[in-house]
Amino acid sequence: MIRGCTRVPADARAVLAVEALSVRYATPRGWLHALDDVSLGIARGEALGLVGESGSGKSTVVLAVLGLLGAGARVQARRLEFAGRDLTREAGSLRGRRIGVVFQDPAAALNPALRIGLQVAEPLLAHSDLPRSEIFARATALLAETGIRDPAEVMRAYPHQLSGGMKQRAVIATALAADPDLLLLDEPTTALDVTVEAQILDLLDGLRRNRGLSMLLVSHNLGIVDRLCDRVSVLYAGRTVETGPAAAVLADPQHPYARGLLAALPRPDRVHSGRLAPIPGGLPDLVAPDPGCIFRPRCAFAADGCAAPQMMVPAGPGRAARCHRLAAIEGLGWPVTAAPAPVRRAAAGVLVGAEGLRRSFGRSGRLARLFRRRSAAVVAVDGVSLAIAPGEILGLVGESGCGKSTLGRLLLRLIPADDGRIAFDGTTVPPRPGTAFRRRAQIVFQNPDSSLNPRKTVQQALRRPLARFRLARGMAARQEVARLLDRVRLPEGYAARYPHQLSGGEKQRVGIARAIASRPDFLVCDEAVSALDVSVQAAVLNLLCDLRDELGVAYLFISHDIGVIAHVADRVLVMYRGRAVEEGPVADVLHPPYHPYTEALLSAVPVLGARGRSAARVRLAGDPGAGPAGAGCCFAGRCPRKLGPVCDVEPPPWRFPTPGHRLACHIPLAELNAVPPLL
Amino acid sequence: MSGQIAERLPRARKWPPVLLIGGVVVTAIVVLALLGPAIAPYDPTAFAVRARFATPSPAHWFGTDEFGRDVLSRVLAGARYSLVMGFGATAISLALGVPLGLLAALHRGLVEEAIMRVVDLLISIPPVLLGLLILAVTPPSLWKTVAAVGLVYIPIMTRLTRSVALGLLEEDFVQAARARGEGAVSILAREVLPNAWPPIIVESGLRVTFAILLGSSLSFLGLGPQPPSSEWGLMIAESRQFIDQAPWIGLAPGLSLCVLLIAVNLFGEGLREALDPRLHARAG
Repeated sequence: MIRGCTRVPADARAVLAVEALSVRYATPRGWLHALDDVSLGIARGEALGLVGESGSGKSTVVLAVLGLLGAGARVQARRLEFAGRDLTREAGSLRGRRIGVVFQDPAAALNPALRIGLQVAEPLLAHSDLPRSEIFARATALLAETGIRDPAEVMRAYPHQLSGGMKQRAVIATALAADPDLLLLDEPTTALDVTVEAQILDLLDGLRRNRGLSMLLVSHNLGIVDRLCDRVSVLYAGRTVETGPAAAVLADPQHPYARGLLAALPRPDRVHSGRLAPIPGGLPDLVAPDPGCIFRPRCAFAADGCAAPQMMVPAGPGRAARCHRLAAIEGLGWPVTAAPAPVRRAAAGVLVGAEGLRRSFGRSGRLARLFRRRSAAVVAVDGVSLAIAPGEILGLVGESGCGKSTLGRLLLRLIPADDGRIAFDGTTVPPRPGTAFRRRAQIVFQNPDSSLNPRKTVQQALRRPLARFRLARGMAARQEVARLLDRVRLPEGYAARYPHQLSGGEKQRVGIARAIASRPDFLVCDEAVSALDVSVQAAVLNLLCDLRDELGVAYLFISHDIGVIAHVADRVLVMYRGRAVEEGPVADVLHPPYHPYTEALLSAVPVLGARGRSAARVRLAGDPGAGPAGAGCCFAGRCPRKLGPVCDVEPPPWRFPTPGHRLACHIPLAELNAVPPLL
Repeated sequence: MSGQIAERLPRARKWPPVLLIGGVVVTAIVVLALLGPAIAPYDPTAFAVRARFATPSPAHWFGTDEFGRDVLSRVLAGARYSLVMGFGATAISLALGVPLGLLAALHRGLVEEAIMRVVDLLISIPPVLLGLLILAVTPPSLWKTVAAVGLVYIPIMTRLTRSVALGLLEEDFVQAARARGEGAVSILAREVLPNAWPPIIVESGLRVTFAILLGSSLSFLGLGPQPPSSEWGLMIAESRQFIDQAPWIGLAPGLSLCVLLIAVNLFGEGLREALDPRLHARAG
């Protein structure tokens, strides 16, 4: 029924041709339709992006192509072919040889007990008759091709001796070993830091150009799909909802779901872009899927005809979308719910002040310490000072291991500091703070699954802070719980639920409700939205912004996502290796003059619609925290703009481009000012 | 989303079947043990020389032994020993092992080091040997056997509790409790223990069975209650020489032991399921 509209011209050169692919799983309630009538095709040398939120069926497509879905899955397809060969029968002999795969977590993809060399050579050892020495020579060459500098050394290394980025390069080398025609990439950079992600994306782009590889890139990150792919397919609840050239689809999405997804995305190039537009509701039940438009219950543009089965209809050159109202909703944006009127805004003064905070973690074991054998300690936070005004949102950015989380926990006195002072509302906070401080300073965590006690109902979780700080008891506490649930936009009936009966976004809301139960003035949000899907993330971000406006709560907002920071933060603190390198109002930090590290960080962020700009970008070599720590600048070891020995020896001076904006660098401001804006 | 809400609502409590089966059998054995002397058809220690080695019959359901004592009456009287042994020793190991494990997990450093090294020392000695050591130097009695077996199982409980608690203390909801300034007791009682119980309960079920077995083994070796007591292990030991002429003498206490062990294990497994809110929703 969809023939002719969805398919790219299925010429003989198509490497992968999937038509009407359906995957079902048997469950006690009936058949779960994981994929429903999905079609896609990849021509030789083409890169197709497959985007969608968790549960959309992206990874199922990859596993179906590889024939790895397992016995429980029923796979049906009109056509499932690789270069004219039927994958339903031959997947086993094609994968690893002509189809290479790279999965999300390089640490899990490599066998920790085997040397890298053997793992890269393994596909060749299994599938070719070449002599061993030749195979290992080719493996070494492959590692070199993936940008590993001393491949002979790495061949002999074990996975734990390599950094995350190196491991992913080794995994890519493994996938390339048998010289495949098609590379399947399932969230290949999601586990990596943004500067390393940029390196891997460059590598993949280069490989594609040099080897004429075809790629299927599965990702939730629209930015990297835009960066790497020619065409894109948007999946929702196991159905393709839109397909077309990546640039066109991502710039001007047609299907309501794609519009919603893009409207919900915080952009690093849009500071304080107003309210995000979350998509209400959650994924539909796939056991009894809606025969009509499956997005209908959540769609802002739903109308009468939506209950009928939807076809892919043409939507511009090379594009198609599964929506019958494309003409009717032409040009309409996803509607934004109105923000409540701000009651309180950032006030003057200092609510949270910290001076010279320091914390290091010993690396040696307890027994070694017992015998006074000390190895070098890791300095997680190295003399950081900051000030947060009442009702202000201070964004804290930096890559993994830069000390962001440690700083947040130090401020709350959850872990003891080695050195430094903390003041809260004018009074010094002692190492073991009293109840008053505990009530006023709270925390929201990253992982919704671990932030709630699985044995406690929502009601119990929310009542505990009320009891602990003697805020409400009995009936009053019950009412307060209802009010808190209302505040985080959850129905009152949720009070009786256990955490496992909530979705990720709902759990995160309960975590926020628990944190604001004691009516704090200060919240540390430690990657509070990072584990959430874009549409849910937008709702939680809006909620956090509303709470600031309604209650005047100040936040330390820790995130690795520059887009999120640009959206919520008033000011930003950039950390590298435990030190603050730049601090200032968000608009100033995201514009020149940049600290060289900020510049590298912003260069690495994949920005939608910024394809042509990659040439002007700075690329960092190595991994976060690489290079020896000296007396000088903490970034000297990786800095692309390093001046010379002065950077290694002398601590950089603070420079003040504007009042309230400071950065620590030896390079004169005039020179830093000359850098073109990156966003 | 409304469609999903109805589906994910908490379900009414439903007792897992293994809990019911295990519970009924264990309760029955406990009741029989308590009522033992009252319902026993004969005096468990009364000799009846004429009725030696009587085969099971309506008069003697489980037959009689080499002194003509009624095996059913003796098994009933001996149940008490096994139950006290199993539950007593496990209670001792729980009462001491769990707090020690929690303490070690909470106070990393010297306290942990001290506790865990002592535990390592205890665990390195084979349990029967440790029981022998304790019981060999003083005259044997039931209470000493219970204490010895309980002591033997403390290290296992301590290790288990510590490792479970260490993982839980890293969880964000414990961090949230710390951010509320909760004290150590509150954190352990509200956040850690409710989540640590499932593995501890399963382990306890196993410990009860092993304690009964170990107690019986020690009795078998002559280090538990002394004849003419009818502790099951002792009964089995005494029956050994008559195994071909009167197998029922050993079979009756042996089978009773089996039934008790299986029932206790089922009960422990069921209890774990009943306490887990996640398993409830799935069971429905």
